[in-house]
Amino acid sequence: MHVPDGILPVPVTAAGYAVTAAVTWYSIHKINQRENPRQDVPKASLLTAAFFVASWIHIPVPPTSVHLVLNGLLGAVLGYFAFPAILIGLFFQAVMFQHGGLTTLGVNAVIMGIPAIIAHYIFRLRKLGDNKGRRRTAVFGFLAGAIALGLSVALFVVILLTNLPAELDAVTERAAIYTLAIAHLPLIAIEGAITSILAVFLQRVRPRILEGV
Amino acid sequence: MGAKWKLITDLIFTLTLCLMLAVPAHAHGAKIEYTVDVVIEIVAAYDSGEPMAGAQVVIYAPDDPTDPWLTGVCNDEGRFRFVPDTSRPGTWDVQVRKAGHGDIVHIPIGEGSTGAGSAGGYTPLQIILMAACVIWGAVGTSLYFWRRRA
Repeated sequence: MHVPDGILPVPVTAAGYAVTAAVTWYSIHKINQRENPRQDVPKASLLTAAFFVASWIHIPVPPTSVHLVLNGLLGAVLGYFAFPAILIGLFFQAVMFQHGGLTTLGVNAVIMGIPAIIAHYIFRLRKLGDNKGRRRTAVFGFLAGAIALGLSVALFVVILLTNLPAELDAVTERAAIYTLAIAHLPLIAIEGAITSILAVFLQRVRPRILEGV
Repeated sequence: MGAKWKLITDLIFTLTLCLMLAVPAHAHGAKIEYTVDVVIEIVAAYDSGEPMAGAQVVIYAPDDPTDPWLTGVCNDEGRFRFVPDTSRPGTWDVQVRKAGHGDIVHIPIGEGSTGAGSAGGYTPLQIILMAACVIWGAVGTSLYFWRRRA
């Protein structure tokens, strides 16, 4: 899911940085509009660490293996804090694990960060209507986690397919990309379940954590 | 006269015998020539240890970094072998790619090139230590802001 260095042409990586800069600015702007912008920093910091480590947890899905992303979870629990949190996590993943790269940091932030913000809005839908029970939190938690990862996979596939270099055998590479995308289907369900369980747990144990989102 | 003819006859017989013996010996001879080539074997694997089976390999010669010198595919063990053109010394770039994942390795080729190398990668201990530092940084940040909030 992380695009490494040397895969995408320079204009695409530059565009990735431009979009990331704009979304980061907008996220910080939205955070500053809150009554106490620092209130959720501890939560964001801990979930940044969780996101950073998650990419190290591999799940075998024959014939390949996938790793946890947790961008939907961050979006649901952190709101607009999710984008800078994912950006910082991606930076450390690129430097230390060689997951992704520094030239593709912007593109990877777009791939994983923007779906996280969409997950935030999906999770907020639980507040609509009169029924605000745990079942509703569970359902929208699942949808937030699953849809965010599904959108990330879709963005990853589209960006790669539209930038296939001429020296590669396009048919082979396309088949490999589709195989990897299909391998993420179980992970979409797993991340939906993780987000759902954690959201219900937080609502039951520390409902204050979910108040701001 | 008779002794002279006998001598000539013996000489012809001996020469014929020598030729008969020599011909089969020459037919079983072998000629071996050899050249020493640098064979480069790359082994591509994901960081989980899983081999990059079927990954595409693109090789660039030092004097032409834009047009591929050779393309190929890794086997099921993620291995690929090639013999570089040693008349083109310098740094050969080998890119391995599969489904948008991969890396590029720079291999110096010159006189007496031997050895091994790798692209990227830290030892597990280094990774654990670095990851622990990042996690501690995050936890420390969290505690700092949590304390100020309280």
